Amino acid sequence: MVEFYINGFSSFQGDISTDQLTAYFEARRLRRMEAIAKNALFCSCQALEQAGLSISEPKELALSVAVGAGSLESTCKFMDSIINDGDELSSPTAFAGSVHNATGLTLSMFLNLHGPCVTTGQFDFSFAGALLTAQQFLKSGQTQEALVVVAEDINPVASEYASQEPALFAPVLRCPQGPFVRAAAAFVLSAKPTEHTLYQINRLEFTRTKNPVIETATVATAAWNALETARFMQHEKSFILTDSFACATLLIEGNAYVKP
Amino acid sequence: MVAVAVAGAGCLCACGNTAEDCFERALKGNARFALPNGRVKSAYTASYPVFLVNPEIVAARPGDQSLSLHFFLTAAREAFLQAGISPQLLQKKRVGVIVGTSVDASFNCFNVYENWRLHSPNPHDKEYLVRYFNSSTAAAVSRYFGFTGPFQTIVTACASGTDAVGLAKNWIINNVCDVVLCGGTDEINLIPYDGFIRLLIASKDRCRPFSQDRNGINIGEGAGALLLVNKKLEQEFHLTPKGYVLGYGNACDAYHPTAPDPEAKGLKKALCFALKEAAVSSKELAFVNAHGTASQANDAAEAVAFKELLPQVPVWGSKGVTGHTLGAAGAVEAVLTLLALQHHTLPATTGFTTLDPAIGFSPSTQTTSLTKNVAVSNSLAFGGCNAALVLSTEDIHG
Repeated sequence: MVEFYINGFSSFQGDISTDQLTAYFEARRLRRMEAIAKNALFCSCQALEQAGLSISEPKELALSVAVGAGSLESTCKFMDSIINDGDELSSPTAFAGSVHNATGLTLSMFLNLHGPCVTTGQFDFSFAGALLTAQQFLKSGQTQEALVVVAEDINPVASEYASQEPALFAPVLRCPQGPFVRAAAAFVLSAKPTEHTLYQINRLEFTRTKNPVIETATVATAAWNALETARFMQHEKSFILTDSFACATLLIEGNAYVKP
Repeated sequence: MVAVAVAGAGCLCACGNTAEDCFERALKGNARFALPNGRVKSAYTASYPVFLVNPEIVAARPGDQSLSLHFFLTAAREAFLQAGISPQLLQKKRVGVIVGTSVDASFNCFNVYENWRLHSPNPHDKEYLVRYFNSSTAAAVSRYFGFTGPFQTIVTACASGTDAVGLAKNWIINNVCDVVLCGGTDEINLIPYDGFIRLLIASKDRCRPFSQDRNGINIGEGAGALLLVNKKLEQEFHLTPKGYVLGYGNACDAYHPTAPDPEAKGLKKALCFALKEAAVSSKELAFVNAHGTASQANDAAEAVAFKELLPQVPVWGSKGVTGHTLGAAGAVEAVLTLLALQHHTLPATTGFTTLDPAIGFSPSTQTTSLTKNVAVSNSLAFGGCNAALVLSTEDIHG
């Protein structure tokens, strides 16, 4: 049984420059946009294009966003403003940007999305929750397509402490061996195959593990399992992703779509 | 249309320690509304009061739990008790957990951050961070009860609690789980406390939802927990449903970071889908529990949607007794909505003063009897997210 189809995807680690986004949007609209939002927006544009969907036209597709711990850049800016200037001069703009679904807002405004929008935030397993949410919106019939976006910001405190003491967070957070990096991925899902369908997902399971799995970090951040899914789809005709880490297991099984 | 049974529900907030307690005090307009001295260290604590949970409950927090987690577990234990089922009996079932929150999932550890910034880390800061990364709300709840189903922490700001209940309904309908423990939780914290004041949408007075002289929100804290079960489990354990989730809709405004769309396009879409999914018309509704934060923009946008889609439907704003409990709000209000239907009683909107001609209607102004058994509860959030639930005390199409 097919859970859903994937019609476009994109992923990367690092930071997108404003220049890379000006192919899609006027530069003045991108001013002061946070790195996490730029990354999410760039991946989303690429995934939508691959799925044959317009970037600027109004769309009713569901938006399911996964963040590790939200927009940390704004959260830290807001705390900085309290430390530097005091409560009474703290930055309201930074507070508004610190809200977890600020990235979802940026995506909905720039991509003209008017369907359901939900943000999930649970560190390494945010992608699992976001996929489940998109799947539920597709099954409910409220929408026929969904955009799942994973956007991970850098926690400067955890990054510094982990660099001093590499094993500190190992049981609970997938830490990179080097400095923390931002990462993003986007997937366009549909309930039915379209002329752009690339992959079909046959199995999606997400369960809590009673015996914690402790794994030393290898690659990246909370977006790891989304990056792995994208990598599999880029290079393999079929794949089974089993991500068993800390307190949970995510299983995704899929294969390249073959038109009947 | 599939109605998903609510086997039990629990709630705590500034107006009570249990769901029934909350409802009784909501009828009287009683709540713990006070300055947050001792809870928040801010230059504003002498002038901006908040809605606070009973200090005895706050003091009972185990050292390894965040306050938000403690609140949610307290409400969840009440939900299990009300359902008449022990979590231990569900160990072999597929039990999922979905919790909405704002503060509990945020990197709001101001002291840890300040110590790091000032290069004077406290020996316990690293320990705190490890606990923070290990305590994603829904995962921590699932771990506490020993469940092995999926878990999800929803962080769609102030719509999180409503989304959690709506998505839990879908998990049951689509056979992801046999049981879902869902709801929302949040605690008073410096970041949203200062943040809302700095956005100039917090009030120094007790909030006045839908009033002409409304001048902003009061943040609050608390938790709401609902235990949703499938038909098979309901029969196996001889459960008596306390209510049903009939419909859920969600849509975004794509309009502004903090203000709702004044035309309420997203809210209208969310309401329409929820009612369609529930196969219910506005004429069948007993009332709508509004988001009703008492901010100028929120109440005006809701009024636009209600006048168009829910004409003549009584409006209840409950934040005059709960405060705005952020990520918990939708769940707290879903529990209060079910209680109002169970008691066939609609409370007055505490804090309402005078009709705003721009809004064009008054919310409930006195306690009234209800004859219908279906109601709507909706939430709006920063980022332009809107969500709506249709709730009932009966499986009306069953």
